[in-house]
This record gives sequence, C-alpha cells and structure tokens, in this order.
Amino acid sequence: MDVQELIRQQVTSHPVVLYMKGSPAFPQCGFSANAVRILNSLGVKDFFSVDVLTNPEIRQGIKDYANWPTIPQLYINGEFVGGSDIMGEMHQSGELQKLLKA
Amino acid sequence: MVTPESIKQNIEQGMSTAHLSVTGDGRHFEAVVVSEEFAGKSRVQRHQRVYQTLGDRMREEIHALSVKTFTPQEWAEIDVSRKT
Repeated sequence: MDVQELIRQQVTSHPVVLYMKGSPAFPQCGFSANAVRILNSLGVKDFFSVDVLTNPEIRQGIKDYANWPTIPQLYINGEFVGGSDIMGEMHQSGELQKLLKA
Repeated sequence: MVTPESIKQNIEQGMSTAHLSVTGDGRHFEAVVVSEEFAGKSRVQRHQRVYQTLGDRMREEIHALSVKTFTPQEWAEIDVSRKT
C-alpha cells in the first residue's frame, strides 16, 4: 500500500493519532514526550501512536501528508491539529480540550 | 553546525517580520516571529509559513525548532514577561 494511503487510513480509523519518536511509555525526544504529557494530562491515554523511528517510510511520508516537516504530529478525527508547540498553546487556551470532546 | 543566526537569516529573507528572535544551543532552537502575514491565519498555517522559509533545512539539518508566532497586534497585547 502507498504510504500516503496508509497514513490516511490510520488517521481516519482512530479518533486520536500521534506520530512520535519512540512510544508513549518511552518517548525518544523532548517534543514527543511533551505531546504525550499533554494528552495524558487531558485524560487521553489510549490514543493510537505511531513510532516513526521504527517506520522510516512513515517518517518521510508523514512530512508530506500534512505539509509539516517535524515530529510529533497530532491528528484528531482525521484532521491535522499541529505539532508540539501548537498542542501546548491549544492546551493552555482550552481549545485542545474542546477538540478532544467533540 | 546550525546556528541561531543562520536560522534567523533564512526567516528574515523568506518573509516580512516586525520582530524576530532566534535562540538556541546548536541542537535546540526557539524562534519568536512577529509578522503581519499571520493575520487571519490558523496556527498551522503560520507555522507552515515559517517552515517554508527554511525549506529543506527543516527536514535535513534542523531537528528541534520551537516556533511562536504573533501578529504585531497580538505581540503588542501579550504580557512583557513572555517576550523572550
């Protein structure tokens, strides 16, 4: 399967998807760790996560998918929400909580 | 090695900025970008605009860049202590 199609299927078949370096239990980069921390603090513990370090094709493909060159990337209900900075801003403002409840 | 100055130069040349600061230690960087171009744009669009000025450097050289974006108006309204 084409990697873009694979990503499309992943983000549309799970409500919350995080592309990250490492796993939620063992993040391999500070930004990914921050993203997991934010989701956990909002009570989101069973999100679908993809470790790009063990999926080199996805690691490249995900950058094209949302025209976004960095990891982590958060998707909610199939829509790209942002990376670690945006997640932090939306967490502070309360927007992320709203989006997760929708 | 990637320097904050080189990142700053790319952003400066790639878009119009009212204020721009880039700090970093060679591995982790933080950019504060204030631009009229951000008006009416979503957070994602703002970040994409900044990433665009860095082109392939974002994919190849720069692994950890934190970006904060403001319009001149937002920048004027935020608390002084957040202006790093």
